Formats: sequence, C-alpha cells, structure tokens
Amino acid sequence: MATEPAPVASTEGTGFEAVAEREHAVGVGPWKLAGRRLRRNKVALGFLVLFVLLVALALAAPIWAHDVAHTDPDANHLTESLREGKGSVNVVAFSGIPIGPQWFKAGGKFLLGADGNGRDIMVRLLYGARTSLEIGVSAALITTILAVIVALLAGYLGGIVDTILTRAMDIVWAFPVVILGVALGTALSIGGLSLGPITIQSGSLAIPILIIGCVYVPYIARPLRGQILSLREKEFIEAARAQGMGSVRIMFSEILPNLASTIVVFFPLSIANAILLEAYLSFLGAGVQAPTPSWGEMISEGINRITTAPHLTIVPGVMLILTVLSLNIFGDGVRDALDPRAKVRMEL
Amino acid sequence: MRKRARLPGAIAIGLILVFVLAACGSSSSNNSTSSSGGAASTGAAKQGGTIKIGTVGPDSYDPQEYQTVQADSAMHLVYEGLLAFKDATGQASTELVPALADAIPTPTNGGKTYVFHIRSGLHYSDGEPVEASDVVNMVKRNLFLGGPFSSFFNDIVGATKYAAAKKTGAPLTGMIADDKTGKLTIHLMTPDTRVLYAFAIGESGVGPKSKAVFKNMTGHPFPGDGPYTLKVVSPSPTNGEFILTKNPKFDIPTIAKGNVNQIDGMVSTNVNTMTENVINGTLDYMTEDPVGDLLPQVEAKYKDRFLIGPGYPNTYYFFMNSTLAPFNKLAAREAVNYAIDSRALERIFGGRLHPTCNLLPPGMVGYTPITPCPWGDPNGPGNIAKAQALVKSAGLTGSPVTVWTNTKDPRPAIADYLRSTLDQIGFKASTKTVNQTVYFSTIGDPKTKAQIGFDDWFQDFPHPGDFMGNLLTTAAAKSLPSFNSGFVSNPYIDSQVNKLDAQPAASVASGWAALDKYVNDPQHAYVVPYGNEEDTAFYSTRMNVSQCSGYPNLAHRVDWSLLCLK
Repeated sequence: MATEPAPVASTEGTGFEAVAEREHAVGVGPWKLAGRRLRRNKVALGFLVLFVLLVALALAAPIWAHDVAHTDPDANHLTESLREGKGSVNVVAFSGIPIGPQWFKAGGKFLLGADGNGRDIMVRLLYGARTSLEIGVSAALITTILAVIVALLAGYLGGIVDTILTRAMDIVWAFPVVILGVALGTALSIGGLSLGPITIQSGSLAIPILIIGCVYVPYIARPLRGQILSLREKEFIEAARAQGMGSVRIMFSEILPNLASTIVVFFPLSIANAILLEAYLSFLGAGVQAPTPSWGEMISEGINRITTAPHLTIVPGVMLILTVLSLNIFGDGVRDALDPRAKVRMEL
Repeated sequence: MRKRARLPGAIAIGLILVFVLAACGSSSSNNSTSSSGGAASTGAAKQGGTIKIGTVGPDSYDPQEYQTVQADSAMHLVYEGLLAFKDATGQASTELVPALADAIPTPTNGGKTYVFHIRSGLHYSDGEPVEASDVVNMVKRNLFLGGPFSSFFNDIVGATKYAAAKKTGAPLTGMIADDKTGKLTIHLMTPDTRVLYAFAIGESGVGPKSKAVFKNMTGHPFPGDGPYTLKVVSPSPTNGEFILTKNPKFDIPTIAKGNVNQIDGMVSTNVNTMTENVINGTLDYMTEDPVGDLLPQVEAKYKDRFLIGPGYPNTYYFFMNSTLAPFNKLAAREAVNYAIDSRALERIFGGRLHPTCNLLPPGMVGYTPITPCPWGDPNGPGNIAKAQALVKSAGLTGSPVTVWTNTKDPRPAIADYLRSTLDQIGFKASTKTVNQTVYFSTIGDPKTKAQIGFDDWFQDFPHPGDFMGNLLTTAAAKSLPSFNSGFVSNPYIDSQVNKLDAQPAASVASGWAALDKYVNDPQHAYVVPYGNEEDTAFYSTRMNVSQCSGYPNLAHRVDWSLLCLK
C-alpha cells in the first residue's frame, strides 16, 4: 500500500543546477523563486483554479440550499412530486426509484436528482464538499503537526527516543490504512471517544478527523525524520550547539525552517489522501455518520441503485475524483516549484 | 430478522387443547394451500445432493441464545423440542405436531399440568439417548442464561426461584422427569394457552445434558436430535460458513427427514452479492430479500424461481421509550403517530409494505382493521401541523432525540425518514446506527436508554399474545434484553394479556382486537405501527421450486427440510 518516500533533495542533473545557479545569481529569494516556477506550471495552476472553484461551491452550499433548492441537505421528500408539463412526477416512485437529474426544469430543485429518501442530490453534494474539505484540511493539519513533532524528536534526539518512535511508526505502518481506519471508526462510531477530560460524541466529525489524522502520521514523519538525520550533521547545527542553544530551540528554530518546503509539498497531498480515506471509511460505514452528507456515504447509498439511478454514485464519484486530482496535481506543482531536484513523493 | 416470543404472565390451560384441536382441524381444510406436505411430501421430491444457502447469518449457534429468523431456519433442523411446527407450507405450517414427545398432551388440573412422554429409542447425533431430564436441562439453561427467551418458562412452578438462585444444580420443582419411563410432568402456576407453542419453537431445542452445559455454547454447539447435524466452519458474521448434514440417527416420524443430504450456509452481510450469486447459481437460495435495483430485476426476469407474498404475519413499527424524555409524555408519542406517513415508508420498502394502523398483523386471530385510524388514513399523508402543535404545546420544541436503527438495508433509510420527520415536527433529531447482529439486544437493554427507533416483530406462533405479551407487558420490560423496547408498563395491558392468554385466542378474538386498539389509541400511543411487509424467496435454477420451495412457512419463513433439487 505504501512505500517510504526517497530522501529529499538529492541532486541530479546538471540542467537543474544550472538553472538554480542562474536564478540565485540575480538575488531572488527561494520562496519568490518557487512562486515564479509555479506560475510557469500552467497545469498545476489550472487545477488550483479548479480546487478553488470546488471550495467556493462548498462555501455556497447554504445559499444554493435555501435560495435555489429550497430544502435542507437532510430533508426527506419521499411523497412529494414535481410539476412536469401538464402532469407531475414523484420525487421517489412507488417502487422506490428516485427521480433523476431535473437540471433547471424545476427551478433548480433536484438539479442532479434525488436519492432513495427523496433528498436533493445537489444540495447534499455541496454540503458533502464542506464535509470532505473540513475533514481533509483538519486531518491534514493534525497529521502534519504530529508528524513534525515525531520526526523532530526521533531524528534530532536519536538513540532510545528514535528507536521507540520509529518502531511505533512501523507498527502503525504495518496496518493497511483503510483497515486500520475502519477498525478505529467502527469502534468509535457507537460509544464515541473519551480520553480523560476530553469526550467526543459518536457521530461527531471530530472522530473521522482524528482517525484519519493519526493513521497517516508515519507516512509523513518517516521522510521528515530522514531529512532531519541529514540536517543535524550540518555545520550550522554544530554552530548552534557551540553557541549553547538547547535541543528544543535547535529543533524549532534551526531545523524546522529547513523542513518548510517539504511540509508545504506534503500538505496538499495529505489533504487529498485524507479526503480519499474519508470517502473509503464513509463508504464502509465507519466514517461520517448519517445523516451528515459525505461523498463516500452518498456513493455507498447509491450502489444499490446503480442501474436505475446511476447519478447517485456517479455525481459524488466525479466530485471526489476532481477534488483529489486537483490537489494531487497542484501538490506536485508545488513540489516541482519548491525544489525541482527533489524526489519527494508521498506514495500511499 | 425477527425477534422471538416470550411467554408472559398468567396462563389458562383449559383451552390449549381446544386451540390445538382447532388448529389441527383447520389443517386438513388448508391442505390445498400447501405446496409441500412436509414429511409426507419428501417422498415425491428428489432426494440427496448438496445446496448452498446465502444468509446474513445466525446470531448464535446456541439453541437457547439465538433470536433471528436466519438462525431459526437453520437451527430448528438441528435441535428438536418436545413439540414442533408441521413441516409444511401455508397455514398448515402453524400446526403443532409432537416431536420428542409421543403426543400432544391434554392439560389437567385446570390447565396447569401437562404430562409428556418422550418417544423411546431416540438418540442424539453423538449416540447418546434422549431423556426426559434433557428437557428439564433445556428449561434450566434458558432460565440460568437469562436470555430473551427465559421468560417463556417463568410460569413453570419454581422457575423464578431457580433463576434467582443462580445455581445450575438448584431444583426446578415444577418439572419432574423420569428417565426410566420417559415421563415428564410440568406444573404451571397459572393456565396459559401459549405454553405448548413455547415448547415447539426452535429455542426450546434440546441437547444432551452432559454436553448442553450452562454457558453460551455458540462457539461449540452441542449435538442435536434433529434431522441434520451442525458444523460451524467459520463463525465470522461477515464471511462465515456452517454445514448441515443429514443425521443418520434421526428417527422422528412426525418431522421431515430433509430432502438434500447437505446444506452449506454461506454467511455474508452483502445482500446484493448474495442475490447475484443466486442469479448465477453460486448459491441455491438466500434468506434475505433482494434490495434496491435487484428486486425489480429479479421479479421481472426470474419469475419462475422468485416467490413473493404476505409470508408470515409481521408488523413494522417504531418503538418509543415511555420511560425517557420526551416520549414519557403522551403528547410526544401522539405527535409521532400523527406525523408518520406510511406512504413514504412504502417507497423505502420498494412497494413491499402495506400501511397499517394495527400492531396485530393481518391474518392474526383478533386482527380487526382500526377504522377510522385515530391518526388519519394509513394510506394518506401524515398530519404534520397537528404534530407540530402537540410538540409545541408540550414544550418539547428543540428536544434532542436519537433515532436508533441497524445496518441492514433499508433500515438506515427508514431511520433517516423518521429523523427527518421528527425534525420537521419540532424535535432536534439525530440517528445512531448499530450492527444488525447486536441491534435488538442493544435497544432492549434499559442501560442503552434508546429513545425511539426501528423495530419489527414476526410471528413466532399463531397467537396474538405473541405480539402483545412480548412487546408491551411489564413482564417483558423486565427481561434482559427486553423485546419491549419502549419499556411500556401499563397494568391494564398486563391484566388483559393475562386474562386473554388464559383462553383460546379464537374465543376471545374481540378482546385481542380491543387491546390492539387500546395500545395505540390517542390516550396511550405506545408504538407507531406503520406497515406489514411482503417477504420473498429466491432460488437458483438447480432448485425444484414448483414442487418443494418450502415457502411460505409461517414458522420458519422457508422450511429448509422441504427444499429439493430438480
């Protein structure tokens, strides 16, 4: 399922070095330089625009729901009907088959059709986007923060600390991510989570966020640790030690800034992976709990009606693909911009 | 999935025999409705072969512990009790026949004493002889393990004391067994017309007392006395397997010996895959109803091997916990009854649900359609405005409510409809979904504090007390887990159930009808019955559906012992 990324910043190819040297020669800072390179990558920028559009759509969900569709994402319309020409059509047929996409025939209501409970697919899709992004960004933040802390401790302190943390990461790594996520999600979906004074109710979005945030820690911590093992032998770290700086200060003021580009590269990729895992977990019933809309849960609900109402699975599936694709391609663009020579990959 | 019945409070014996005789009498007149005639019919059916049955699986392999119809379908072939239901289809399948006992006894002592005689020469599959004391052991196991069926036996003299003693060797004074003569005498505290049925259901299956020890034996099922033996290959609830093979030592003339030599039970939670496997012949029959798109597809394309009908009597309803806020207030319970639109639920069931206003199902003694329904026409819309007004006037607007359901399709959708409706009438609702294998025991535990949710009940035996006694009495509320998920406790219901149980159901049908009306009238509104489901049976092309479908069997849904290959 997963392989450890290759060490960061290996140099290869004289072409890149020549370009870098030329750019350094004119005195441009590394972040500005990266910005210039990113602007030249039209594909990455295109997918960034797509991602921004998806975020805008997610933010517009309440507007669409209340002003266009005139419904809530969770409201059932099982026995309602829509006017169609001189007659009317049931939102859900007597046989249980829901109405297909209406586009703008009903003034925006049921634009993409209804699900088996007569809920508006478009409205749920937009609210599902909010759920996916909320979980994706929050889980990626948790993953990144935990991974940086673990990597700094293991990589800089070394010794027994490194051994314990590395073995702990190996244990988590040994479990396939989806299986580990399903196991945790199932266990916590009924009783919630209670850790000392912290209590999280079952059904809370915080549960899938925590699960996803934690299971991906080794996938980022390990490459960061490798980078730190290399950095701690550098002269500027020795100089810092010689000046009497403590370990914590060295870790956070000397080493951490040097990890920034790697972290920036990993972050959008982490969001994409978190969104994908949330969809897996929700599809399997171990992620977002009903009735909160989620793309994975929508796909799962639509599977039983894939022949008579394919829109139930296709629409959230397409949204999922677009979101993950846009984040992955933009993430790759960021990596290429920050360090064209880098071979950093987070393969999951 | 169904939950099985328990025996309630007071009982009157005198009429049991009348009831049984009435049932026997009706059997001959109903023979024309039977597609298979049980033991007698097996001679005409092809013998031998192996079939594979897809199922979401038994919830337990211990005959005293299981609750579901899936378990019952398999387990009643492995463990026989004193009596059994006739291996037949249609109405005949509700007739009682003697199994381990050589005859159905006539009660004496004012309906409080039964004397059974165990057939001579019976053996378990491991060769041990069947003895009268094994039946006492079965009842003691039920009482000691304290499962949902333990209260079936509460009216036996000394049963409550035995259960309280918590000692396996404590005496059960109301059951006297003589292994030398095979005589078994059972004394009841009060007469009960349902007691014979209690000794006929699958959960009264008997095993040798040396092996049927006082712990949950689902991991190591003990030998049985039925037409098949059980081997659990894998107990996994998601990808398990069990095998039933013919028991060479089985010899009970009133019970079907089974047509096929071996039945492989393939356990899976994926009903769609199961359906596809029946279509392509990997499975020969499935215990579940096809769902989603596959139902109309199967109905249209495979008419020759797909059966659909009212099946055995059932009622789908929402329970409301009358001991917890907000449903401890009558207005809240009334509001839900007013708001529910059975037409919406009909769609969720894909058209297989018939709206109702009664808790008793059609076909049950005492069933009289409640007309007019106090909550409005069951085939019409719900009265949302009235429900909203009730919630508001009771000061319950915004009250948090959790709707409980389980994972089996379409139950999450049913719960979501209820949640949406509760939101609409003023509550603040959320849902909680529990795995289907533990759902009923979870909501039946008062510690869970389930407020409202999905519930259903399928007939265990043809008696209205099977519904009223198990779902709404105080005695039912006190067992653990309870089938009275709303923990309803009403002295009038208790007294009426006791009074009516003491007489043959047919002779007090109007009393049962009145009680059916009482439990859900606007002064009580204890439950929200919304429909009766049609059930289905789907077979592979290998199966001889026209001659031996085993469907509809009103005790076991499909009687697997009647199934045969072409």
